[in-house]
Amino acid sequence: MAHEKSRNLKLNLTDILVTIVIALVFGLVFRLMGPVYDLVQPLGIHLDALLYGIWFIAAPFAALLIRKPGVAFLAETAAALAEMLFAGSGGIINLYYGLLQGAFSEAIFAAWRYKKFSIGVASLSAFAALIASIILDAGYAYLPLLAGWNLILYLVFRLIGSILLSGLFPYALVKGLEKTGVTQSLRPVTKEDYDVLK
Amino acid sequence: MDTVWGNTNKLFFKVNPSLKFLLVSSLFILYLFVTNLNTMIWTALLFFILYFFVSGLSGKWSFWFVLLTLIVSLFSASAMIFFGKGSSVLFQKGLILITRESLARGVLLGLRTFTFSLIGMVFATTTQPVPFFYSLMQQLKVPARYAYGFMAAFRMIPMMAEEFVKIRQAMRVRGMNRQKGVKAFCERMTRYCLSMLAQSIRRAQRTAIAMEAKRFSMTAERTYYYKISWSRKDIYFVLIVLCTVTLGFVLSNVLPITPYTNVLDH
Repeated sequence: MAHEKSRNLKLNLTDILVTIVIALVFGLVFRLMGPVYDLVQPLGIHLDALLYGIWFIAAPFAALLIRKPGVAFLAETAAALAEMLFAGSGGIINLYYGLLQGAFSEAIFAAWRYKKFSIGVASLSAFAALIASIILDAGYAYLPLLAGWNLILYLVFRLIGSILLSGLFPYALVKGLEKTGVTQSLRPVTKEDYDVLK
Repeated sequence: MDTVWGNTNKLFFKVNPSLKFLLVSSLFILYLFVTNLNTMIWTALLFFILYFFVSGLSGKWSFWFVLLTLIVSLFSASAMIFFGKGSSVLFQKGLILITRESLARGVLLGLRTFTFSLIGMVFATTTQPVPFFYSLMQQLKVPARYAYGFMAAFRMIPMMAEEFVKIRQAMRVRGMNRQKGVKAFCERMTRYCLSMLAQSIRRAQRTAIAMEAKRFSMTAERTYYYKISWSRKDIYFVLIVLCTVTLGFVLSNVLPITPYTNVLDH
C-alpha cells in the first residue's frame, strides 16, 4: 500500500503537452471529418449518427494513454478548441459540446478512481460522452420533436458509432502504442513496476 | 497564402482575443433560446452581411465558404424537415412527412447552425493562435502550462505534415500502396495512426523536458514577451456585435417575414 500512496497522479508538464498535442491531432481529424459528416446528413436516415462517435475519441484515448485524473477532460476540450480555431463547421458550438463530453467521459474514469482502464471502461466513457451530446442536442437540435422511429434510429446509430469509434478503436490504438514502448514513460508508476525491481 | 487571406488590417484583427472569445461564446447561449423563426432569419442575414465586412478571408474563398456552409447547414436540418413532428401536412411520401411546423423548425435549425458557423469563421480567421493564447494567460488567467502547451503543439503541426509525407513515401517505396483490399487498407491506416501518434508523443515529451530544462516555471510570477491589452477598438467591437444582435431582434418584430414566432408550438 505504500506504493499505492506514492502513485503520483498530478499532471506534470509532459502530461499536459502530450495531451494537448494528441488533442490537436484529433482536432485536425474532427476538422477533416466535418465535411464528410455533413455530406451524409441529407440521406435523412441518420447514417451521419454512425460517424458521430469519432468526436468522442479524444477523451478515452488520452485517458487510456496517460491514466491520470483530468486528462480526459483536458483532451476533449482542447480538441474542441482546436477544431474551432481550425474553423470547423459549427464554430463555437463545438466548444460547448467538447466541454460537456469531456466532463462526462472524465466522470467514468473517476468512478473507477483512475485504476481501471479496460475496454469496458473505455466504452462506458464513450457512452457517457454520447449522453452528454444527446443532452445538448435535445436543447439545440430539438430531438424530442423528431418522429419516433427516426429518433430511435438516430439513437441506435449513434450508440453503435460511439462504442465502435470511441470505445474499441482508441483501446486498440493504445494497445498498438504500448508495443512501440512510448506509453511506458507516460504512465504513473504502478506496484507491478516496483515488483519488477525486487 | 496571398490568395487565402484578404486584408488583415481590419478592426476585428486588433480586438482583444479574450474579449472576442467570450463575446462569441456567449452568443451561443443567447441563440440557443431563440425559437422565433423571424429572429433567426434576420440574424442570419445580418451576420452574413457582417461577415463580409470583418472576415479575414479573401473574397473568392469567402464566397465558396459561405455557399458551402449554407448548403451544409440546411443538410444538418434535413432530418427535422423530413421527419419532424407536426400536424398540417405539406408533403407525404412513404416515410417522408413534411409538415409546416417541421419545415419551420428545420429552417430555424439550419439558419442557427449557419449563423454559428459564420461567427466561428469570423473568430477563426481574425484570431492568430499566439496572441490568442497570450491573451488567455494575461486576461483570463489561464495557467501558463496549458497556454504554452497549446502554442508548442501548434508549432508541431508543420512537422506532423512533413512526417505524414515521409511515411507515405516510405510506404510507396515498399509497394504498400499497391496492395488492394480491406485488410491492406486497414493495415495502412493503422500504420499511419500508430507511427504519427508515437512520433508526436515522443516529440511532445522531448519538448516538455527541454522546457523544464530551460526553467519553464509552472508556478512563479511570469513576465510576457507579448503584452496583450485593451484598446478603444474593443469598445467598437462590442458595439458592432451588440448592434447586429439587437437589430436582429428589432427587425423580427418590425418586419416579420413568416408567421412562425415560436417553432416549438405544434
